[in-house]
Amino acid sequence: MGDAAYQWDFQVIWDYRDVFARAIGLTLSLAALTILFGMVLGLVLSLLRMSPLKVVRWPATAWVELLRAVPPLVLVVWIYYCLPILLGLSMPAFQTAVLALSLYSSAFFAEIFRAGLQSIDRGLVEAASSVGMTRSQALRRVVLPLASQRMLPPLVSQCVLVVKNTALAGYIAVADILYQGQQISVQTFRPLEVLTTVAVIFLVLIVPMTMGANVIESHIRRKYYR
Amino acid sequence: MEPLLAIEGLHKSFGLIEVLKGISLQVQRREVMGFIGASGSGKSTLLRCINMLEVPEAGSIRLAGELVGFRDTPRGRRLLPPRELSRQRRRMAMVFQQFNLWPHRTALENVIEGPIVVQGIAPAKAREMGEALLRKVGLEDRVHAYPSRLSGGQQQRVAIARALALQPEIILFDEPTSALDPELVGEVLKVIRDLADEGMTMIIVTHEMGFAHEVCDRIVFLADGRIQDMGPPAHIFGAEAGPRTREFTRRYLDRHQIITGAAHG
Repeated sequence: MGDAAYQWDFQVIWDYRDVFARAIGLTLSLAALTILFGMVLGLVLSLLRMSPLKVVRWPATAWVELLRAVPPLVLVVWIYYCLPILLGLSMPAFQTAVLALSLYSSAFFAEIFRAGLQSIDRGLVEAASSVGMTRSQALRRVVLPLASQRMLPPLVSQCVLVVKNTALAGYIAVADILYQGQQISVQTFRPLEVLTTVAVIFLVLIVPMTMGANVIESHIRRKYYR
Repeated sequence: MEPLLAIEGLHKSFGLIEVLKGISLQVQRREVMGFIGASGSGKSTLLRCINMLEVPEAGSIRLAGELVGFRDTPRGRRLLPPRELSRQRRRMAMVFQQFNLWPHRTALENVIEGPIVVQGIAPAKAREMGEALLRKVGLEDRVHAYPSRLSGGQQQRVAIARALALQPEIILFDEPTSALDPELVGEVLKVIRDLADEGMTMIIVTHEMGFAHEVCDRIVFLADGRIQDMGPPAHIFGAEAGPRTREFTRRYLDRHQIITGAAHG
């Protein structure tokens, strides 16, 4: 090999293992909080969007469309810099990232919930009514169990996107995996090793999620749908 | 004697289309009544109004004298609260054309879901009753099968067991064999025939003219949202039936002759 050949050196990664460990913890808590708040807000939005009342449905729809259309990075930066100017309300960077990413993902969660709930055959709900179930009993016993089976795959993909979108928090100096990786590569002049490591970390975080979802999905298919 | 079911001047529209234009009829206890008519004649809508799956705009339905779906207040007629509606619906079990079994529940669980969730019957007791009902419809060996593993005929028999689990005063059948392959129709009709022999009160919306002729005490012929003819099978399929009734039944009997190749008596 000539002088031009790149010498890989992963020793730097090991030297910075504590920094990576903390960054992984931060990314995971950012993702977990975003998924939690995003799903709760998304469920509320989806129920509002299915309301028979136009005055409830219309604003919820507009809100979902707005959040879906705005780039998530803009949302993060905008909330971080504009909320203090407009409302005099300033939040630490981590909380800002949770808020912005939760708002953004809630629009997508809302659409998944709405599609899942509306995909349930009306006849199954009528059968529930005919044995005397009230609307809420039919929702709990028939609609939600069936809808959650169908919603599992899109929900998992959305959670994967949330994990990846946590990288945007680095723009407001939240010390997530990508942000710390960039810091380390600037200090060590080893961007290729660092970025490769970052990619591997994301892979290790995300692949078990999707594999777990596949296992559950095929179990459901085998059990209920042959 | 007071009729079990009394319908008076029932009207129902979907948007601008009036589907039921004033229906009045009575069903006695232990009576089997058939609803026949072309698709779009309003027979399924009438059945669904009885169970309040569709809310009629005018007229009244009384079950053993009790107004169904509404109550009269000094300020006019009001929809019943959900709990009351639930109580009434359990007295009138429904069997659907598409079976509508819950796919995430086994045959047995489909049968006992209502009694456990709605009536609060103890699961062990409900299971015992559910197994007995599945035995009654000939499915004792399919108790723990999910609907996807059952044939259409088996699914419809589970649905009938689910209806029976409510211990209803009347069962409403909405074209119970229309979604079945021809070779599976017989097993479902047999179960319904057995119920008729036991004296169960039933209304059956059907296109099976031979079955209606054999099992029903009275048949209602609907067309354009009105009752065109009503009477025992001998009347509906006989020479005294109205011209529209005769034209309708003749078409079915002709088709039957073509299929069986036999002369119809």
